[in-house]
Amino acid sequence: MGKRELRFFGRTEELKKTVIAGIIGFAIGALIILVYGYDPTAAYTALFSGAFGDLYNFSESLANAIPLILTALTFAIGFRGGMFNIGAEGQLYLGALAAVTVSLFHLPPLFAFVLSIIFAALAGIIWSLPVAILKAARGVHEVISTIMLNWISHYLAFYLIAQVLVDPQRAEKTVSIAEGARFAVLMPGTSLSYGIFVSLVAAIIIYLLLWRTVIGFDIRAMGYNPQAAAYAGIEKWKIILFVFIAGGVTAGLGGAVHVMGRPPTYAVYSGIPAIRGLGFEGLAVAMIGRNHPIGIIFAGIFFGGLLAGGRMMQLFAQVPLEMVRVVEGVVVLFLAIPELIRLFSFLKKRS
Amino acid sequence: MSSLYLWGIFIGSLHAMVPIILTATGETIGESAGLFNIGLEGIILFSALTGALGAEAGGPIIGLLVGIGTGFAIGSIFGLINSYFKGVQLIAGVGINLFSAGMVAFWLIHLGVPGHHAVPEESRLIDLYTPLGNFSPMIIVAILMPILVYWLLFRTKLGLKIRAVGENPQAADVAGINIYLVRFLSTAIGASLAGLAGAYISVDWIGSVTKEISAGRGFIALATVVFSGLNPLLVLLGGFIFGFFDSLAVWVSTMPAVQRVIPWQLVSMAPYIVTLLIVAGVIGRVRFPAAMGIPYERE
Amino acid sequence: MSVSESKGGIKLQNSKVRRGDIILEGRGICKDFPGVWEHLVLDHVDISIKAGEIHTVLGENGAGKTVIANILSGFYSLSEGQIYAKGKPVYLKSPRDGIKYGVGMVHQELALVKPFTVAQNIALGAAESDLFFPIPEIERRVRELSKKYNLYIDPKSRIEDLSAGEQQRAEIIKVLYHEPEVLILDEPTSLISVDAEHLFVVLQSMAAMGYGILFITHKIEEALQIGDRVTVLRLGKHIGTRESSKTDKSELVKLMFGEHTPVHLERKPVKSEKVVLEVKDLKALGPEGETALQGISFTVREGEIFGIAGVSGNGQSELVEVITGLRHATGGQIIIHGKDYTNHSPGDIIRAGVSHIPEKRREMGVIEAMTVAENVVLKDVRVYPFSKGSFLNLPHITQHTNDIVSRFGALVSDLWKSQTRILSGGNIQRLILGRETWRMPKFIAAAYPTHGLDAKAIEHTWELFMQLRESGTSFLLISEDLDEIMALSDKIAVMVRGKIVGIFDGARAKREEIGLMIATEA
Repeated sequence: MGKRELRFFGRTEELKKTVIAGIIGFAIGALIILVYGYDPTAAYTALFSGAFGDLYNFSESLANAIPLILTALTFAIGFRGGMFNIGAEGQLYLGALAAVTVSLFHLPPLFAFVLSIIFAALAGIIWSLPVAILKAARGVHEVISTIMLNWISHYLAFYLIAQVLVDPQRAEKTVSIAEGARFAVLMPGTSLSYGIFVSLVAAIIIYLLLWRTVIGFDIRAMGYNPQAAAYAGIEKWKIILFVFIAGGVTAGLGGAVHVMGRPPTYAVYSGIPAIRGLGFEGLAVAMIGRNHPIGIIFAGIFFGGLLAGGRMMQLFAQVPLEMVRVVEGVVVLFLAIPELIRLFSFLKKRS
Repeated sequence: MSSLYLWGIFIGSLHAMVPIILTATGETIGESAGLFNIGLEGIILFSALTGALGAEAGGPIIGLLVGIGTGFAIGSIFGLINSYFKGVQLIAGVGINLFSAGMVAFWLIHLGVPGHHAVPEESRLIDLYTPLGNFSPMIIVAILMPILVYWLLFRTKLGLKIRAVGENPQAADVAGINIYLVRFLSTAIGASLAGLAGAYISVDWIGSVTKEISAGRGFIALATVVFSGLNPLLVLLGGFIFGFFDSLAVWVSTMPAVQRVIPWQLVSMAPYIVTLLIVAGVIGRVRFPAAMGIPYERE
Repeated sequence: MSVSESKGGIKLQNSKVRRGDIILEGRGICKDFPGVWEHLVLDHVDISIKAGEIHTVLGENGAGKTVIANILSGFYSLSEGQIYAKGKPVYLKSPRDGIKYGVGMVHQELALVKPFTVAQNIALGAAESDLFFPIPEIERRVRELSKKYNLYIDPKSRIEDLSAGEQQRAEIIKVLYHEPEVLILDEPTSLISVDAEHLFVVLQSMAAMGYGILFITHKIEEALQIGDRVTVLRLGKHIGTRESSKTDKSELVKLMFGEHTPVHLERKPVKSEKVVLEVKDLKALGPEGETALQGISFTVREGEIFGIAGVSGNGQSELVEVITGLRHATGGQIIIHGKDYTNHSPGDIIRAGVSHIPEKRREMGVIEAMTVAENVVLKDVRVYPFSKGSFLNLPHITQHTNDIVSRFGALVSDLWKSQTRILSGGNIQRLILGRETWRMPKFIAAAYPTHGLDAKAIEHTWELFMQLRESGTSFLLISEDLDEIMALSDKIAVMVRGKIVGIFDGARAKREEIGLMIATEA
């Protein structure tokens, strides 16, 4: 279906927006770097070579992209359906912990692996179902219910890590994922595991779902125009349920695949430093990827790259790697403006 | 339970409630005008740092003012994007959170000791030392602010204008009100209270800045606003309750005996569970302004 | 109350305006809504309002009455033309400007904040400083105004607690609070619970005080009763202005609806007695909770076109919405092919064989952001062969869309790439027609199906409808185009204020009869 792929690249409007927002983001980042007394050129050179410069760096970038792509899909599916599902954060914690839970028991390797994946998906669904039900049955806005559930999950995770899943030998982490249940390392010497394929496959599945199936059609229709969707006979509650369940699956997997593929410890530490924020970063990736699964793959890799390159930037240009998040924030901020392109042509005309 | 413990928790609540009440009160103004600012967390965080630096430069009062200014500045950006440019409020808010998280972490590293920056004693706000405990003057501010904002929203014409914009912007437009300006200023001023809350945390209460110093208080404030149904007086109550849980959780985490029965994590969860139940309609009813979250177009 | 005693009279004496002077005027007013309407909504309209007169603007919906009112009050901007306040050209960029030049407007959809009280609503526009709470002062003045204008309303009551008629009174007081010189009222008697007689008395006393009043309506009798002058608009054009004492109903009907005699298309009589749709005592509420349908009953037989004539806003939209499952019926029944489909989902009703050509084409009939192909199969995509199992059958969809697009002439360059948004209104309607009729459905609910189409397209549509009718399709046809109703319908019903006030035989009905019934009170 050559025509279909063409259609994506034909959406130059969307691409333009991302590029403009990206340029602004990096420009402001450069400004800040300069103001604080560092060298933007050195910083960005280190950043990009650290991200994509050689095979090792690129692998690290891909490794970072794994959970980001999945949580971005959660938001993107919701967005396509006209909803703001920001619950990936809470769902991914539980997905990661569900996978860890499976490793508490001594199960045959392949079985443990498959079960971990399934449990993670289930955990994600369990945590997103209430959002869907509250919205469909009581009209509760999903932003509010997901914020609450995110924080409930946050503290629940703390509890589980400290009390239930704790490693008897090292109290600051959970039990590690059993060796048989891990994703093997894809590129030796890096953090990149075979989990990347889960992310890529998930993105492709969501793409096919949205543009090749009836339910995907209905989701997009409802996202564009709920009134017309009702007119066409689409049932709102079905769409709500589906969108949140699908989002829950990808978010749960996001947490699990990350933990199951993260050398050297394959565990979750107390304070959840590694997985915290992946939900909101996923949101940013989704926006940058224009809420399209293929765009998300690229945005995820790009963003994972920035995170990996950030370390190089810190090492070689002494610019703290957090600058990456600053740029990310600015880009998202500008992507929030729907008529960004028009705004710029308007400003150009003025001057 | 010893009354000493209870009193300690109570004092702790009073301190813990300050940032929550201030932020939630500010957000009440913004939401009454129809803008939902999920970026409060980022504003609190950023202002904590700028406030601390301001205090080191010019003393605690300057620090607090810098915090307010920071909040106003960020709120203005949010207001500009969402009111005048008709942006997507949720995404702009997330952008602010990411930006602030990055900037604060970046700046802390730049300042020297990565991750933790203690505010020197002389720059901190002086508490009132009484035999009963240490009280910060900001507690008074936190109690008065909701009352002031209540008066503003429900007993002045300005408050009517703000609420009209949130409820029925078309009617307000016909009445000659500048919708965009009202939304913009409501959000900016609301955010400046969040800025004050952030500065309070670093300059007064906790006395240091880490990249996680906001600790979810921005989101608790959002929950408090929901809990209070956009009534600032209820924000005072809700803020105290949530501050109480905050303080209680800290206490529980230091008492292993209690931990076994009620884990501190459960206590921390409680405010969110309660808010969820309220929103679900299990307890009480929540009514948001009819035009909240919707950008305004005239024709 | 003599002119010199009343405040308005003092107003006249103080200002240099005399009774009969023009205080507000629009010349050559044009208005277009690019992208939404293909034609000018207002086409070089001239209108003037004199001090001390009540000037009614008469026309069907779509004539442009509300638009001209909004332009004169500053709520809309004009595309061309000039407004003059007391002879001086003015530029109204917002309602605030309108208030500044003494123009106050009472909108059809009341601009009131529901949870607020009357006084609070007025306070929004009051001039006092923001930090004060002028409520007690406002309440006092409201009571004064109530007495003066005979419009009683309790300033402390909340809008959402008031009846529609009382809300309107509140709105009028709110406008009068600013002491305008011109008062514009947009269809003030269209709400069912409004006491029209009382309102007329109030307006006449205001005119006596020196106000200039512009009264928008679609009801001929009312226009003659209250107006000193009557202006008729049709399709955005100024058709004529008459002194009400020098004209009568039939002249106004002619001006409003046009002169010619429409055709009634040749057809074989309806053969079948089988009832396809039966509507029994249907009741429903409108979008603001007001009563919309007050007990509608009618039947449509197989192969019959049942037309509903009348100015839109009398419940026609709600009727179609209830029948197609998009609105809740609060009472009564909808029976399709003998089965009760009251309050079933739209999907059920689609599966029962009901097609719907909607009134709001761009908002409901298509999804503008989706492609042409996607819109053509919007409803059919769920069934074989458009989808196989859960998967879309793209080749079949493409082929089908090509077929429909060429048959119905919806010009488009790339089915799968172009967003439907870029199509003209006419092409969108052609797409919708194609989609809703290709299956030769048993029943079609068509709301304003040829609105905005060019003459050729209208002709084709009529042909299509007659062909479908031949093969047994039944129609519920809603249209404001009386020609269309008369040409196509086997039966013509007139709907006023949520009730059917008369049913005519399509072949024998006379235009004037129907026109008169439409433009009159029930």
